Amino acid sequence: MKKKIGVYVCECGPNIADKVDIDKIIETVVAANNSENVEIIGDRHKLLCSAAGKVFLEEEIKNKELTHMVVAACSPRDHNSTFINVCKKTELNPYLYKMVNIREHCAWIIPDKDKATNKAIEYIQGGVARVQYQTELIEKKLDTNPDVLVIGGGIAGIEAAISLAGKKRKVTLIERSAVLGGKSVFLKELLPSQAGKEYINKRIKDLTDNENIQVFLNTEIEKIIGFLGNFEIILSDVTNKDKKTEIKTGATIVATGFGLSDVTEFSNINYDTKDEVYTSLEIEKMLSEKGKLKLSSGVPPKKVGLIHCVGRDEKKYCSQICCNYMMKIANYFKKQSAKIEVKEFYKDLCLPHKDDQKLFNLTKKNGVDLVRIKEVSLNGTKIKYSRIDGTIEENEFDMVVVAPPIIPSDSTKNLSEILDIPLDEFGFFQEAHLSTNPVGTSTDGIFIIGNAQGPRGISNSILMAHAASGQIRTQLIPGEQIVPEVKVSEVLEAFCMGCKNCIDVCCYGAIYFDEIKGISVVNEAICRGCGNCVASCPSGSIRLKHFTNEQIYQEVIEALK
Amino acid sequence: MDQQKNVLVIGAGIAGMKACLLLAKTGKQVYLVEKLPIIGGKTIKNEESFPNLECSTCMVAPVQQEILQHPNIKTLTLSEVEKIEGDIGNFTIIINKKARYVSDTDCIGCDMCFDPCPVSISNEWEENLMNKKAIYVPCSGSLPNVPTIDTEHCYHFNGKQECNACVEACMFEAINFDDKDEKVEIQVGAVIIATGSDIYDVSLLPQFGYGKHPGIYTSMEFERLFASNGPTSGELTIRNSEKTPKSIAIIHCVGRKEQDYCSGICCMYSAKHAHFIKHKLPDTKIYNFYRDICVPGKTYQKFVEKINDIETQMIYHNSMDELNILHNENEITIEYITGKSKKETLTVDMVILASALNPGKDFSDISKMAKIDLDKNGFFITNQEKVGSVESTKPGIFIAGCAEGPKDVQTSVIQAEAAVSGVMSCLDS
Repeated sequence: MKKKIGVYVCECGPNIADKVDIDKIIETVVAANNSENVEIIGDRHKLLCSAAGKVFLEEEIKNKELTHMVVAACSPRDHNSTFINVCKKTELNPYLYKMVNIREHCAWIIPDKDKATNKAIEYIQGGVARVQYQTELIEKKLDTNPDVLVIGGGIAGIEAAISLAGKKRKVTLIERSAVLGGKSVFLKELLPSQAGKEYINKRIKDLTDNENIQVFLNTEIEKIIGFLGNFEIILSDVTNKDKKTEIKTGATIVATGFGLSDVTEFSNINYDTKDEVYTSLEIEKMLSEKGKLKLSSGVPPKKVGLIHCVGRDEKKYCSQICCNYMMKIANYFKKQSAKIEVKEFYKDLCLPHKDDQKLFNLTKKNGVDLVRIKEVSLNGTKIKYSRIDGTIEENEFDMVVVAPPIIPSDSTKNLSEILDIPLDEFGFFQEAHLSTNPVGTSTDGIFIIGNAQGPRGISNSILMAHAASGQIRTQLIPGEQIVPEVKVSEVLEAFCMGCKNCIDVCCYGAIYFDEIKGISVVNEAICRGCGNCVASCPSGSIRLKHFTNEQIYQEVIEALK
Repeated sequence: MDQQKNVLVIGAGIAGMKACLLLAKTGKQVYLVEKLPIIGGKTIKNEESFPNLECSTCMVAPVQQEILQHPNIKTLTLSEVEKIEGDIGNFTIIINKKARYVSDTDCIGCDMCFDPCPVSISNEWEENLMNKKAIYVPCSGSLPNVPTIDTEHCYHFNGKQECNACVEACMFEAINFDDKDEKVEIQVGAVIIATGSDIYDVSLLPQFGYGKHPGIYTSMEFERLFASNGPTSGELTIRNSEKTPKSIAIIHCVGRKEQDYCSGICCMYSAKHAHFIKHKLPDTKIYNFYRDICVPGKTYQKFVEKINDIETQMIYHNSMDELNILHNENEITIEYITGKSKKETLTVDMVILASALNPGKDFSDISKMAKIDLDKNGFFITNQEKVGSVESTKPGIFIAGCAEGPKDVQTSVIQAEAAVSGVMSCLDS
């Protein structure tokens, strides 16, 4: 069949018309390409992106029965989608259209009109060559499962499950321990609000009462395959590995919480189990179990020292919540008895939220002695520290509280392998983008919230739970289909040698190995079309649709002629 | 379209834009109201963003483009909400859409109208570090790339009706002096307030000498000074001169005491500024005057340490009240109390004041018309009965980003997505 290629040059008012010779361009391109098999229909228009311009193109496609179209105008950033939408209104598949930028690349930057014209011709020639090698791509629609799996029954996981569950969306929540609530159940007060334990208990009840949420305790994830909208998952019982449950979901949320570093691993912290030294979480537990803060002898302490930032230098990050909760703990002591002498040792105060300062002001008002230090060390219950002016002091306390750094939960590494989600340099799950997509991951449909992504407080963890919920509710609408990317890779079976290079370089886990055929296979629903696999393939057996080597060569060759 | 499922988003910064895009995906009609002529918020004022030092425009421009091209998003620039009435599921909103005088359908953003304009006035968006014409876009790369006319200064609107220079220069007949302000009334089911915040006015603190010496900058002024699309095309030269500074002091926590909170981002952007300076002026000495280094979370400390410890001198000082910036024609001298309680001085060529974020001037009006509460500082307050909530004190109205309090891009985005979840809950149940 004879190809009928429409080549339309936009004048962009004077922007292109005054700087290049459009008539010469059209004449040259027509003459260079017209042949037995190809007919070029060349024309110019005052402003193709205008309403009149779009109608003009639509009519041209219909009336001239174009098989391909090239638009030479501005940057594709400005109007590629405009012209794709024009194609979509007609019979012309948008992947048989190509935009060439002769405004920013030619008209605006080359003062000499002849030179600019020649460069524009070369660009358009490249476009005309390429478009002939482009193929129709058809967008497919996939049914989706709106259900969600939440991994982790701490407060973040609980809030995510409650937020998402509904008549049309079922949620499965798994927790590897036997109880719900995570570490939050030990806390007497939740910062920055005054809410306490009752709040957590109420949310646990809201979760278990919700008929659209199924909770599995003592349960871990064993295997997951699939992509956004369609995951197949195998769960296994921690106490009986053979007891397995298979479920299907559309999305998965990882809310596995945090661990606390052993403070004695840091050289400046030395104490024995018999010493009256407690971690912050041990203090919270003591308070929730005994209702009072006491020494092991049963008498309340008279002089308490609190050490912030333990292990911060070694871990190379600030756990973000310690300044706040250490002040909360200082106030626990002061509330118990104003006579208790409380000294807090800190290097920097990290109070990044607007409400944090209130707590600081209250702590000072309550008579807590906040001491800025350069260095600190603990021996038993003796704290030695250097003040900011260099003076060194040593005080004996009858109780000491230390703030250990937050570290990734011990399940993180194993889970990252099962989910195929990378970890960051600190061992937390790596987000899709720290600033613009902190709850997303490299796999669409898998989300990370709370301390699984990095250290943060309860309030911020719950915000992340809602953020993941916001993404899932807008991406997986019950009863609606999704349209995956069509510009994806494909393996040419006959040439694949089965070296698996492509599997190693794929950032999205989109390629798997077919053991029977001995070749790699691309899961088109996961592939994002980055092209890593194409570059890594030694036999040239992977190609990226719409960016095939042939298409690129033809464009380059023609442009360089 | 069921109007009760429509959503209004106030403010087109990163939080507002993110919320719009998610909601628009579900087929809802979203109205995005922005008071400036462009969308993008404060993020686009930064050449690079912390902590990855990536190009902010590259990060935000695709989002801006998608917003402007999305069929379900109606973006109203130069617009302010005037009335919010009704309740969850059924709000009536009146918006004052100011005349742009340039048709956004006819204008192609070719800039031909700027040169002929005889007026030159200070460009506020560029922190008044350069001038603009009476017909202008705030900076190159503005989106939408359609100018507007400053009618306070345009000759045509000020007694010289014969001035038609821009109209004559426009090949697309896009300029219309008869354009009028418009009242737009819409019905929505939910509202997201994502107005961002303002920056503390450092001239309120005479001890820092702001406005009295050309070498004293605010952090936002410095962002624009560094920006390649900014007033000096990215040259770090001192205001009104060609002089490059040989020594620069960055003063942290300016306005913190007065506002009674830590803004949580200044340590990070100040480290970024130090990095910018080192990158462009490797021999320039950099001093950071700090009290606390606040770098919460997993990546910030490493970012700050890598830059501050290697590229700058960190100077701890005892009291913000006793830090004074003295200046004469040639010199700027910082007088401060050291950690050892000694009075010392340091002379530099340039000072950057890392100023706090504070509530926007219009927060109190918005809170009154929406009947929602502000906190004691004047930021919007969220439902205190819930932990980690983005609901305002009125059902159906949500708060995201710096409107709720100072924060980084990461937390702004988290709140925006959480607000979307809240909106979905109230409109789809």
